[in-house]
Amino acid sequence: MIQLFNVCKAYQRGENALNDITLKVEKGEFVYLTGPSGAGKSTLLKLLYCAERPTRGQILVNARNITRYGPARIPYLRRNLGIIFQDFKLLKRRTVYENVAFPLEVQGRKRYEISKKVYQTLKSVGLEHRLKHYPLQLSGGEQQRVAVARALVVDPLILLADEPTGNLDPEVTLDIMELFKSANARGTTIIMATHDRNLIRQFPRRIVALDAGSLATDDLPLFRGTNGISGQTGMTGQP
Amino acid sequence: MILRAAYFLKRALRNMRQSPVLSMASIGTVAVALALLAFFAIAVLNVQQLTASWGENLAIVVYLDDVPDEKIVKGWAKDIGTYPEVASVTFVSRKEAFERFRKRLGDDADLVEGLGPDVLPASLEISLADDWRSESVLTTVVERLRKDHRFDDLQYGQGWLEKLEAFLFLLRVSGSALGGFLVFAALVIVANTIKLTLYARQDELEAMAMVGGTSLFIKLPYLVEGALQGLLGGLAALGLSFLVFQLILQKSLGSMLLITGIDTIHFLPPIWPGLLIIGGGFIGLLGSLFALRKFVRFVAP
Ligand SMILES: Nc1ncnc2c1ncn2[C@@H]1O[C@H](COP(=O)(O)OP(=O)(O)OP(=O)(O)O)[C@@H](O)[C@H]1O
Ligand SMILES: [Mg+2]
Repeated sequence: MIQLFNVCKAYQRGENALNDITLKVEKGEFVYLTGPSGAGKSTLLKLLYCAERPTRGQILVNARNITRYGPARIPYLRRNLGIIFQDFKLLKRRTVYENVAFPLEVQGRKRYEISKKVYQTLKSVGLEHRLKHYPLQLSGGEQQRVAVARALVVDPLILLADEPTGNLDPEVTLDIMELFKSANARGTTIIMATHDRNLIRQFPRRIVALDAGSLATDDLPLFRGTNGISGQTGMTGQP
Repeated sequence: MILRAAYFLKRALRNMRQSPVLSMASIGTVAVALALLAFFAIAVLNVQQLTASWGENLAIVVYLDDVPDEKIVKGWAKDIGTYPEVASVTFVSRKEAFERFRKRLGDDADLVEGLGPDVLPASLEISLADDWRSESVLTTVVERLRKDHRFDDLQYGQGWLEKLEAFLFLLRVSGSALGGFLVFAALVIVANTIKLTLYARQDELEAMAMVGGTSLFIKLPYLVEGALQGLLGGLAALGLSFLVFQLILQKSLGSMLLITGIDTIHFLPPIWPGLLIIGGGFIGLLGSLFALRKFVRFVAP
């Protein structure tokens, strides 16, 4: 599903934010991206949704080489992705319903199709009673659930989440994780950047750790009895 | 397709409603720029009408102090008639000249009471062919007549047309320069007001790009907004120039030009109003295109 070959990324001035990263993520996998602040987690995710271009190396997503994608093809790549941020990035002047309907509107879907799908998705995150509210009238956890709904409403192939629980308290974090798990169970590949060791301990999955832009470790949790990056097929959707 | 158009129009209108002051500012600048351009056009077109009517009078008069035999005069007229630039040559006798003069005096005809036809000279009136009606042709014909010693008392255009044409040229150049400058200023102002609304909506643009909106999808509402503001500006310019025409221009320009024999001052000719409105829309569209140029980005530069 996702492959990186010797990817380097250097911003205008300074050292490499990413250094010779080679990585493969299979369809349906759930991968934690960890590492200290400034390790390059966000940068790696940005490369995957084409907000930045790699300085060197090649990136394949869904068997397509997206390394040199330009404004004409990026939109169509992003329609297969769900992207979630630490600060939600909801539109404040739009209602919950409008926020979640937005990606479908952008794709030019029919109105009845949109309303059905939006309602379904909001129900799956438990917010169908909030659709007329504005984001700032909701709690942080509810806002992030709206953001998750917005990401999942298009049934994305891949969900990219950059510290989605960074601003949330532990209980709400568990809610969000349950949503991710069920999306993963339905076949969505998930890459989630996080600092949260407790979370990883509670929901053990493959861990890709970065350090100062380099790949530090790439491991399955030890107790699962496998190591290395081979044989992750059994990972899908299991707790 | 129609639904899509309605969608973009709705979004454009919503954007305009949300920032009425900015919208009014760009509509206003387009209106002022185009209205000034229209004033110049009205002035130029009307003065041009003057040169056309003067051009018709572009003739040479050869005064004859001693009137020779009618046969000889006919021969002269024939000679001049062979010039390619000349359309016709008419002989005006002393008597005919006197009659004409008396008619032109009208009610004051009694001024010439007691005077005989011999006070006015006879003349040959030479008019130029349509294709040759210009000051320079006139001069070459006059030169040729001068060389012929039979004709030395000549009267002709005396440079009036040239002066008028120079004035028109000046009017046209200054009008276009000022108009061009104003249109450019309007373009910049429209671009900047759209840019301000874009700043206010940056999160929305970003979100649209993040969920897979194409460049056109993201830009179209703003292009529609710009074009709409421009069209409204053009419409306002038309209204404004018509109002100013009715209230001021018609009278002042009219009295200025009346002495020259022009009695009706015209508003813009038929296609101009449409051109003004479409021009406004074009300015708006271009302005917003300009504003969007660096705004919608998918990849970091
Ligand atoms: N737009 C940018 N321009 C220049 N340098 C940048 C930019 N974005 C990130 N960097 C640098 O690249 C490096 C990696 O940043 P990145 O945001 O990927 O780290 P991170 O692992 O996500 O950190 P955090 O856990 O704090 O979010 C850092 O040194 C950062 O300063
Ligand atoms: Mg980060």
